[in-house]
Amino acid sequence: MADSRSNYSLTTFNSSGELVQIKHALAAVQSGATSLGIRAVNGVVLATEKKLPSTLVDETTVEKIAQLTPEIGMTYSGMGPDFRVLTKKTRKETQVYYRTYHELVPCSQIVRETASVMQEFTQRGGVRPFGVSLLMAGFDSNGPQLYQVDPSGTYFAWKASAIGKNMVNAKTFLEKRYSEDMELEDAIHTAILTLKEGFDGQISAENIEIGIVAEDRKFRVLTSAEVADYLSEVE
Amino acid sequence: MALLASGNVSAAYIPDRDERGGFNFDNVARNEMMSQNGLKFKAAMKTGTTITGVCFKGGVVLGADTRSTNGETVADKNCEKIHYIAPNIYCCGAGTAADTEAVTGMIASALELHRLATKRKSRVVTALTMLKSHLFKYQGHVGAALVLGGVDINGPHLFSVHPHGSSDSLPFATMGSGSLAAMAVFEADFKEDMTEEEAKEIVARSIRAGIFNDLGSGSNVDLCVITADKVDYLRNYECPNERTYVRSKGYDFPPGTTVLNRRNFMTATAATLPVNQIVDIIDGAPEDVASGDAMQTD
Amino acid sequence: MSIMSYNGAAIIAMCGKECVAIASDLRFGINQQQTTAVDMKKIYKIHDHLYVGLSGLATDQATLAQRFKFRHNMYELRESRKMRPETFANLVSTMLYEKRFGPYYAEPIVAGLDATNGYKPFITGMDLIGAMAPTDNFVVCGNNEESLFGVCESMYKPDLEPEELFEVIAQCILAGVNRDCLSGWGGVVHVISKDKVITRTLKGRMD
Repeated sequence: MADSRSNYSLTTFNSSGELVQIKHALAAVQSGATSLGIRAVNGVVLATEKKLPSTLVDETTVEKIAQLTPEIGMTYSGMGPDFRVLTKKTRKETQVYYRTYHELVPCSQIVRETASVMQEFTQRGGVRPFGVSLLMAGFDSNGPQLYQVDPSGTYFAWKASAIGKNMVNAKTFLEKRYSEDMELEDAIHTAILTLKEGFDGQISAENIEIGIVAEDRKFRVLTSAEVADYLSEVE
Repeated sequence: MALLASGNVSAAYIPDRDERGGFNFDNVARNEMMSQNGLKFKAAMKTGTTITGVCFKGGVVLGADTRSTNGETVADKNCEKIHYIAPNIYCCGAGTAADTEAVTGMIASALELHRLATKRKSRVVTALTMLKSHLFKYQGHVGAALVLGGVDINGPHLFSVHPHGSSDSLPFATMGSGSLAAMAVFEADFKEDMTEEEAKEIVARSIRAGIFNDLGSGSNVDLCVITADKVDYLRNYECPNERTYVRSKGYDFPPGTTVLNRRNFMTATAATLPVNQIVDIIDGAPEDVASGDAMQTD
Repeated sequence: MSIMSYNGAAIIAMCGKECVAIASDLRFGINQQQTTAVDMKKIYKIHDHLYVGLSGLATDQATLAQRFKFRHNMYELRESRKMRPETFANLVSTMLYEKRFGPYYAEPIVAGLDATNGYKPFITGMDLIGAMAPTDNFVVCGNNEESLFGVCESMYKPDLEPEELFEVIAQCILAGVNRDCLSGWGGVVHVISKDKVITRTLKGRMD
């Protein structure tokens, strides 16, 4: 046994050249709650379902959108605990960058850094891939940006994208609704409508979460009162 | 079979050697060798300093002078010694300039991560504990003397921290080489529950005491007023040491004053030599650039 | 003798109107006794609008210049952009502080124009463990910085045009090194403006 380490790797190619663990991780993402993002001309919106296993859970304590830097935030579909780990690593990386350059990390760089971590976990021994896809939204010197990162470490910038259980329908919906000159307010409405399309049950300010970043370059998660206002606007 | 599990997993992500963070001791042995061969070590830049702070009703005021020194030489006449820690916490630094900058920056980063994780405002005692653990760990070799102040859920707080990691919780605090001069002001005139204006006045006065009576302190007064709902960073609140004389027209050196070297004097003759001038054009056409001939001097 | 005076150096940077200048002397000596080279420039180009000057121990100058350039190149490849002078200065500071307890014996001066902010001039000095002192007028470093401070304090004027700034910084470096045994043999000046960098070598005393 030349390299004993390889024996511990769960991610080895099968004879068709696939890494089945990554496929399985994507399946985990596919069964997760739907999340989506839309890049508008003057900002970006992230929206996610926050369906809980039981009505007995205190939904005010569940947060699915994480702030990374003042101008960047992210959400996910898939496994919550894996997202927590990635959030911690990514936030730490933003501070490492800031300590080195005294400058906020650009969206593209923190995406690449996070994607590198996710890639690392598809190759190294003793670990498994992350069971999440991420949507990262930011507004930096390159303007508004939306990125999606998958368990394999693949990442792309998107105009609008959806991940999770209802991804196929949501993407079709977004393709119809998206326009190049869409403003942020319009994008928030579209985001809610897209979530609503595939929503199982009644959509409310408590069971979805919305994060926005506008030209002021301040990413923030909307309060449930603000979400309620937007919900009443689209009705 | 090699052991795996935790050891290997934690090593899963190895950044470049250059970007790993933490102190690097590679040069220590070499530097030790040089010093044994009779070369003296270079001292780092110090802030021979006056820094103070005072609690008042509803907040704290921090103050600092703006001189940084390099031996007996003034290295910076208007440096910033009040450092950001958190939106509601600031920290004055005295001692080795790089240490005060680095240690406050590090704790500011750690607190930001803590705030993101907990969604709560940072507390001054948290900053204090992190600062003093770091300083104690380095046994005084990280030469930072600090006055830490802020307002949190428990109200206004003021602490002084010494380079070895000890700290005091005080209604008024002074640090640095001008601390005695500044302390005299507080000992004479400190009152409990001052107004914001009174607090600003006494802090500015204590800093002036340092500026004028301590040689390591000088230039301007910086203040930072922190209350429950706002922070006023008053950079150069007072400038009692403006330059008194500047030559009205300054010195004039008409173009061509400075004698340039000639290029390649081994091969060319004096008559045809171009002036040694290289123009790197970054933007625009070469003809936009004035030729070196104008600078020819002989 | 101090390590910082082993080889000798004098460096000045100045802000002008939409331009910056950085100058160094040319001597490279060993241990106050022999002048080994008379064409050693202590200023290194990072990119078109960014230069760094390094005084102190020559071996450390060379090592640091390479490491700075390396880190800038990696940044440029990664982020498809050039570093702003301030960003670069912070990187330099971080790299020096990393060796807080076993420092390189070199003090940098960073001078450049910020292309993302209307080519705003930026200059800063630093001590050997990375304590920054950014200013909007001039910075000096070298084994005899007192005499450089002296001339700059009296000769510097704000808002000079590139050609005027060249004369001032050239006169300052020449006058300064004439009171310094360990530096001299003429100098080199780079005047960095938005669309061009003019580099000139100065004639100076050869003693």
